[in-house]
Amino acid sequence: MIDETDELIQRAARSLKALPATNPLANARIIAAVRARRAQTPSRIVQVAQWMREPTLSAASAAFLAAAALVVGFVAGGALRTADGTSPEIAATTERPVPPGPAPALSAANTHGDVAVALLFEARNAKSVAVVGDFNNWDATSSPMKRFGSDGPWTTTVRAKPGRHVYAFLVDGTTVVADPRAPRARDLDYGGDASVLMVTTP
Amino acid sequence: MTRLRKLALAVVLLTGATAASAAAQDYSRLALIRDDVTRDVVRGLLGGAFSRGVPTEPLMAKALEGVAKKASTTKIRDAMNALEKRMRRAQDLLGKDASVDELAAGADALSVGVNEKTLARMRKAAPRRSIALELGVLTELVARGVGPSKASEMVLSLMGRNATGVQLTALSNDVQGDVAAGLNPEVALTLRGKGIMSLLPPPPSANTLQPRPK
Repeated sequence: MIDETDELIQRAARSLKALPATNPLANARIIAAVRARRAQTPSRIVQVAQWMREPTLSAASAAFLAAAALVVGFVAGGALRTADGTSPEIAATTERPVPPGPAPALSAANTHGDVAVALLFEARNAKSVAVVGDFNNWDATSSPMKRFGSDGPWTTTVRAKPGRHVYAFLVDGTTVVADPRAPRARDLDYGGDASVLMVTTP
Repeated sequence: MTRLRKLALAVVLLTGATAASAAAQDYSRLALIRDDVTRDVVRGLLGGAFSRGVPTEPLMAKALEGVAKKASTTKIRDAMNALEKRMRRAQDLLGKDASVDELAAGADALSVGVNEKTLARMRKAAPRRSIALELGVLTELVARGVGPSKASEMVLSLMGRNATGVQLTALSNDVQGDVAAGLNPEVALTLRGKGIMSLLPPPPSANTLQPRPK
């Protein structure tokens, strides 16, 4: 019994330690921006030496520092939620098989309590993709997706109230496809699988 | 006419106009259904539900879901009838003031096998705020394989300890991940539930709960 419990705890700990998937497109953008910045800025030692010679703080720098402090505050808030194991992970743009999980990324809520949810879907040969779900009354016209680049993933943002939602992707207006990144639930009314999205309070 | 009567009349007219507007919005979506027979069936079912005081929005969504999934008219009719029945039951259990989101979430919970008494207990535990999220978490736990009674007790316990929406959603997501990794659903619920319980203050002495902290 003790061994079994230990094994269970170890498995739970392993799942807790698993890092969330990252967005390769976002990573690429960040790396490109950092490289571009590196190319045009002097080394840190040179910067420090310059500042030691002229220890000034311009209005623009002060404003930048204030903005940075705000950003750090927000990020820290997000990190604290993540530490509780409650922050959603970012949807990844990958073609490799991805294990099911809470894929969609959430952002701020509006005044009606709706939470913005970013959804992403890989369908290279599709001509159009729309999100249909109970959050948009399964109305294919309300949430069309846009392709990221010429042959990138399809993306869109929908608004959903906190709670459990089921949804799917409608490809080329004819084929309903479950989200390969989301957990699935049996559709008791129409058969097949539905993707499940849990939206939390912001 | 006294001022009070005028006010009452205005409230009645406003309420009626709002309900009629919502229903009209659902009827306008009927145009999304191309098949004439299906559209007529759906229109009839929406009209019946509206006359019985059941919100039509989830029913219209259920019809459009069937259309998207290329379901037959018979299947769409059956699905709408079953949903209306569950929503009426949820209305009885959650009270006439329950929101559309709560009724839809309650109907979902009933569809996966949650006991009716659980819905009434959840409403009693939180009479003055929406419990759509809690109902959604309960439905999802049962959908992952946790027994309805065990899932109900856990959600009610967490509500009794004023667990936040974020914590409840985390419980649902964590159990889902554990089950996907091969863990027994009820063991996963026990482990994850204990983890969240350890973060919460002792249960309040009052029977009713405070508004859920953000």
